[in-house]
Amino acid sequence: MSSSRNGALLPAVEARGVEKRFDLSRSRPTSLREWFIRTMLRRPVEWRHPEFRITGFDLRVEPGEAVSIIGGNGSGKSTLLRLIAGIYKPTAGTITTRGRVAAVIELGSGLHPELTGVENVRLYGTVLGMTREELRERFDWIIDFAEIGDFIHVPVKYYSSGMLARLAFSVAMASDPDILLIDEVLAVGDEAFRERCADRLGEHLTRGSTVILVSHDLDVARRYATQALWIDRGRVRMRGDPNAVVDAYIASHYVDHEAGADGPEASGSAGSPEAVPASSPQVING
Amino acid sequence: MGDSRVVRVHSPDSRDRLRDVWPFRDMLRSLVVRDLSVKYQRSALGFLWTLLSPLIMLMVLIAVFSHIVRIPIERYWAFLVSGYFVWNCVQQSLTTATYVLQQHASLSRSVAFPGEVLVLGAAGAKLIEFLLELGLVLIVLAIFHHGTVPLSVLALPALIAIQFVLTVGLMYPIAVVSVLFRDVQHALPLVVTLLFYLSPVFYMVELVPEHLRPIYLLNPFAGLLTLFHTVLYDGAAPSLPLLAWVVGSAALVHVVGYSIFKRYKATCVELA
Repeated sequence: MSSSRNGALLPAVEARGVEKRFDLSRSRPTSLREWFIRTMLRRPVEWRHPEFRITGFDLRVEPGEAVSIIGGNGSGKSTLLRLIAGIYKPTAGTITTRGRVAAVIELGSGLHPELTGVENVRLYGTVLGMTREELRERFDWIIDFAEIGDFIHVPVKYYSSGMLARLAFSVAMASDPDILLIDEVLAVGDEAFRERCADRLGEHLTRGSTVILVSHDLDVARRYATQALWIDRGRVRMRGDPNAVVDAYIASHYVDHEAGADGPEASGSAGSPEAVPASSPQVING
Repeated sequence: MGDSRVVRVHSPDSRDRLRDVWPFRDMLRSLVVRDLSVKYQRSALGFLWTLLSPLIMLMVLIAVFSHIVRIPIERYWAFLVSGYFVWNCVQQSLTTATYVLQQHASLSRSVAFPGEVLVLGAAGAKLIEFLLELGLVLIVLAIFHHGTVPLSVLALPALIAIQFVLTVGLMYPIAVVSVLFRDVQHALPLVVTLLFYLSPVFYMVELVPEHLRPIYLLNPFAGLLTLFHTVLYDGAAPSLPLLAWVVGSAALVHVVGYSIFKRYKATCVELA
């Protein structure tokens, strides 16, 4: 398809100084009464909102590279994927992507429960930006790859989460993205499907496409990635060789537990991952 | 060697690449197909249900206004069906707008696409139902009212287009404001009921006192319904000044409504 998937190309994904703040003061359902109190009477409404932000995020991913993002719940991994996919707009900084982006972020999000697998493939395929012709050409491939059998004609509300993942992932792969963003979707697939995904991802990378993968499955994080990012409270805590990053991440659990309620940042001293130099090729300097 | 990949830059001041709906036309189409197939699958009577509620309402209105209150017009039923389905479509579209963004919140947070597609998809599904209803109305009027198909129906595509532009122009702000304030879901039915009485759905614009009519016609739906009555019931060419006013006001509503939508749509993706 794309003629220029090899050779010395510009990075597939490039993020510089990205920051994202969420205005959680508005995250609750607002009623007009609250709005009136806040805006007309200029009095604060009792509700101390938590702050969530991504700060100082830099990333450079070359074509053919795979990046895994690891980190605790709520550390900002999915938010990073959404920023890269262009779903959220950064508050500061720039993200440049080169090539077609497909993201599988929330399981089953593009699928309608009442529609059958086949109907959902048609829906989700166009949602991911395939034209109807492309979809027609790749339809059989999708059905084959998903291996859902006759259930493909059953409404997806009767699917298991593994089957949903198969369907969503197959459509995303078929959209032939240059940059594939995957969030925890593989985790619910069974061994056989994961093997097929691994093969397919391998092919995908060999052709010079790019994968960014969020996973709590640390073996997956080691296995696919050429670089890993450890995100902690909206910051990159460590980056570099996947094995080193995963090891440090695992080690931090023990250290953090001993450090008590102060959390990872308080762990400091010898075991601090900040001391591990983020491996140079991936780091953007200025 | 040329790097032919699509380059996208996301930054705080990159003006919204997602406003362009055209590349997402296939998605738009499949959303419309989905809305309709979800609605009609496993429903034995299907489209009849969609017709049933307006039909019952029509029967009530016909009974009341041709036998009790007696609106002075020949073949009241023909007059009523000329405008009622327009109103029905508008009312349902506006109601859908109050939840369409929330309904697709998960989708909006997983795939980058212009939010316009969701609003247009919802409006499109309603429009298709309306077109089917309008087809039936045309047949019934041709047989029982005009005895022929009047030439004035040639004006219908223009009227339908105006209706779509006007309705979508209101759906846009309703959709985003509904995410920010849940109150809209409660308030809208009241507003819609009010509009029903303030628009010539079950009575003719001629019954409005002449000195109030300029104010009355400020409501673009009043003008639009009057045009439908002229074209369908009277079988006459629409009045050009009225047409001009309705086109102008629909365009204005659309521009203002869309600018509100654009202003808040990014926030709504995060909040919905």
